[in-house]
Amino acid sequence: MEEQMKKWLEPFSTTDGKPSTLATMQEQVKEWIDQDKIDVFLGYKMVQGHPLPHFFTKNNLDEVDELIGGQARYSLEKIATKIAAEKPAIKIGLMVRDCNQRALNVLYVWNQLNPENVETINLNCCPSKLKKHADCSYLEPEKAAVYKKEVGIDNNMDVEDAEVFDMEQRFKRWMYEFSKCIKCYGCRDICPVCFCKECSLEHPELIATGTLPPENPIFHLVRAVHMGGRCIDCGLCEDACPVDIPLRLLYRKVNATVEDEFGYETGTHADQSPFNLLGDEVTLEPKPL
Amino acid sequence: MDYKIIPSVCSYCGTGCGVLFQVMDGKLTDTLPMKTHPVNEGKLCIKGWNLHEHVVSDKRLTTPLIKKNGEFQDATWDEAIQTAAEKLKGIVSAHGPDSVGVLASAKITNEENYLTQKFARAVIGTNNVDHCARL
Ligand code: SF4
Ligand code: SF4
Ligand code: SF4
Repeated sequence: MEEQMKKWLEPFSTTDGKPSTLATMQEQVKEWIDQDKIDVFLGYKMVQGHPLPHFFTKNNLDEVDELIGGQARYSLEKIATKIAAEKPAIKIGLMVRDCNQRALNVLYVWNQLNPENVETINLNCCPSKLKKHADCSYLEPEKAAVYKKEVGIDNNMDVEDAEVFDMEQRFKRWMYEFSKCIKCYGCRDICPVCFCKECSLEHPELIATGTLPPENPIFHLVRAVHMGGRCIDCGLCEDACPVDIPLRLLYRKVNATVEDEFGYETGTHADQSPFNLLGDEVTLEPKPL
Repeated sequence: MDYKIIPSVCSYCGTGCGVLFQVMDGKLTDTLPMKTHPVNEGKLCIKGWNLHEHVVSDKRLTTPLIKKNGEFQDATWDEAIQTAAEKLKGIVSAHGPDSVGVLASAKITNEENYLTQKFARAVIGTNNVDHCARL
């Protein structure tokens, strides 16, 4: 635990090539708040010995001296989305790692946040299919235990590794993983790009209710399909899953298909998504009856 | 504009997962798992994820209720405690102290739980004490 704690307190470096220290980041944030460039900054602060998400505003400007880039990742952009839903004009500053930035891009595409109201300070991190350089040791995956290797899917596998199993094996192994699900909805609740008002996972006509594990594999496949062109491979869902289902791998497979079919690399830019059928305005005429 | 993240502990069961409450302008809006908490390491069950809902729920009771003529009616604390005490006394004198059982709770503090069992043993006079979250 102590070793881990040390890691969370490590200083950060920014991705824009400029050498940076905690102090310069703090100065930047103070300047933005002072000059009303932002109304609130979302970063981290040590609270009761834990690096926790923290809001910095004019009212607690002194606290910016305690702003850290602690390596316990939370989806600050999801918090920002919820604030912006209440107060659309609010200007928000965010500390972003690569995954947060990818999530922001998706949130811009889907009109959940307005890029004109968002300022970011970038931190280095996160090994991922989409961005290979990495120094976020927090994400170093745990080794799969013997039983899981024998009957399930090792969370550290790549899509290609997982496809070595023949179809029957593959189905059995994934069903073993899905059978552990306790339907906590943690994967959805923590996901920065899950923002639908009505979630299909809770729709009784799509997925049977009242049993654990949930109706499988449909529960997991519905979520997987919905992550096509949405999931930015941050791994927060897998982190939050109490039963260690290799969710990230599943969604990587879905997004590999999206990339093959549409040439769309989710989260790498804020241009239109092939799945966003509607423009700003609905132009479809209802058909005459 | 006032936003806060408040660390706390889930009160639904004896596990004691670390949670973060998200408070916007004084209103509790969300619960997140605390990622560095040694008990749950960033994971929660469905109850923990929805902790804030029982605080802000419309269904939450804001005053004691007493059932009169088959219907619950608003009451003051004095009335409610008086009624409970009288009924308990009546039951104990008619059927003996072991006709009463006391369930303690995961939602109250250690000290309150101590008082609860003390109440069962010393006031009612029974050893029928258990806990709702004996998982
Ligand atoms: S990795 Fe999981 S939490 Fe992250 S965007 Fe994809 S589905 Fe959401
Ligand atoms: S986080 Fe894991 S256990 Fe919870 S609903 Fe998602 S897959 Fe199931
Ligand atoms: S109810 Fe769930 S979230 Fe709360 S302490 Fe128990 S296991 Fe943890």
